[in-house]
Amino acid sequence: MTKRTAGFVAVDVLLIVLMILPFAAGMVLKILLTPPTQGIEIAGALIYFTVKMPFMGDLPITESQTNSFFVVLSLLGLCLYLTHGITAKGGSRRQLMAEWIVEQSEKLVHTNMGAYFSGFAPFIAGMMGLSALSSLSSLMGLYPPTSDINIVGGWAILVFILITYYKCKCGPVQYLKSFAEPVAFLAPLNVISEVATPLSMAFRHYGNVLSGSVISVLIAAALAGLSNVLLGWLPGVLGEIPLLRIGIPAVLSLYFDIFSGLLQAFIFSMLTMLYVSGGFPADLYEKRKAKKAAKRKAVK
Amino acid sequence: MQNLDVISVNLWQILISLCNLLLIFLIFKKFLFIPVKKVVKARQDALDGQYAAAKEAQAKADQNREEWQKQLADAKGQAEEIVQKATRRADLRSEEIVSQARDKAEDIVGEARVQAEREYRKAQSKLKKEIVDVSAELAEKMIGREINPDDHRAMIDSVIAEIGEDNDGDS
Repeated sequence: MTKRTAGFVAVDVLLIVLMILPFAAGMVLKILLTPPTQGIEIAGALIYFTVKMPFMGDLPITESQTNSFFVVLSLLGLCLYLTHGITAKGGSRRQLMAEWIVEQSEKLVHTNMGAYFSGFAPFIAGMMGLSALSSLSSLMGLYPPTSDINIVGGWAILVFILITYYKCKCGPVQYLKSFAEPVAFLAPLNVISEVATPLSMAFRHYGNVLSGSVISVLIAAALAGLSNVLLGWLPGVLGEIPLLRIGIPAVLSLYFDIFSGLLQAFIFSMLTMLYVSGGFPADLYEKRKAKKAAKRKAVK
Repeated sequence: MQNLDVISVNLWQILISLCNLLLIFLIFKKFLFIPVKKVVKARQDALDGQYAAAKEAQAKADQNREEWQKQLADAKGQAEEIVQKATRRADLRSEEIVSQARDKAEDIVGEARVQAEREYRKAQSKLKKEIVDVSAELAEKMIGREINPDDHRAMIDSVIAEIGEDNDGDS
């Protein structure tokens, strides 16, 4: 292994700081700006400030926006850290990790979408990383951006744009014709199902993460009440501490924050792959391409 | 400071989030996938190069071995030929030497025989002369008088010649 210079190590440390600092910043922002609350409260993200916009309403800069941006920064740090100092010879642990990530995402995209869509691998990997890390940021006490409908809605709309783009690959006429299949009078239903795709994706992801938070809050509150009823007779301060809250919410958090978050990231990426590749009329596209090539040859 | 409603749709936020996803796509592509793929490709190229070099070396070695085997076979044949030639030449030479020796021996024997003959003749004539002398002296004494030595000699010579003829016939 090559000997590491001081400069190399310094850059490494900087990149690790870049990975961790955004979350720390998010936590500091949250601690400084959260108003004191009483009791249970189920509300959306905290609005830090509002930017006046000429149209489409004002832009509130919320927790979910900042946290989402912090996640992007952190992932940038991760990517730079993993690829820092990799060589053709290989050998370092981080290089193995980077190659594993690249290889696995390419394999996943290849098996689910086919060779034509191999360029989607970074998109899918990035989507998974963004979604998973956004959901996991709730472990650090941050407001998970994925429990904001606007965040996942933006992703779903991008996916919808991609689906439509690949459906239009055979020309707009073919795209319009695809709505009248298998019979013409089903066209309205087809339009509805087309629009339903991004909506369902957005609501599925957002609903899962948000419901996890809501249930966690509810159970924490319920456990506090239960603790008060069952153990309130204990003398002094002991009676005031909600002892039942210790441990039990952690187990639920394991499911709602970690498992559900990772699963939703995976499901969102899988659905993206399936919808994009499923909407693309591959056979028709090949035929069209061959016809075009033949025509070009004939002209020559 | 206030909170958003649990469900509140804001198009600007949606747009920003969309851009975030695009941004993360570009980040992953530029900072993770492209460098890693470059490195993997470089490694694959190096590997292919090494394989090709190894194959070439193997082919060369095979060729060399064949050449050497051929040369070895040639050398063996040549050595056999040389040995055969040498054997043949040695045979010839030995025969020559033997025949030369035989000739020489015959020469020597012949010469010896001629010399012996000559010696023999010499001895014979000497002996004859002595016999003549002795017999002349003997006869002189027996008779007691001088005889004509010339007559005498002639007579004895004839006798000895007779004897000698007999002797010659024997030898």
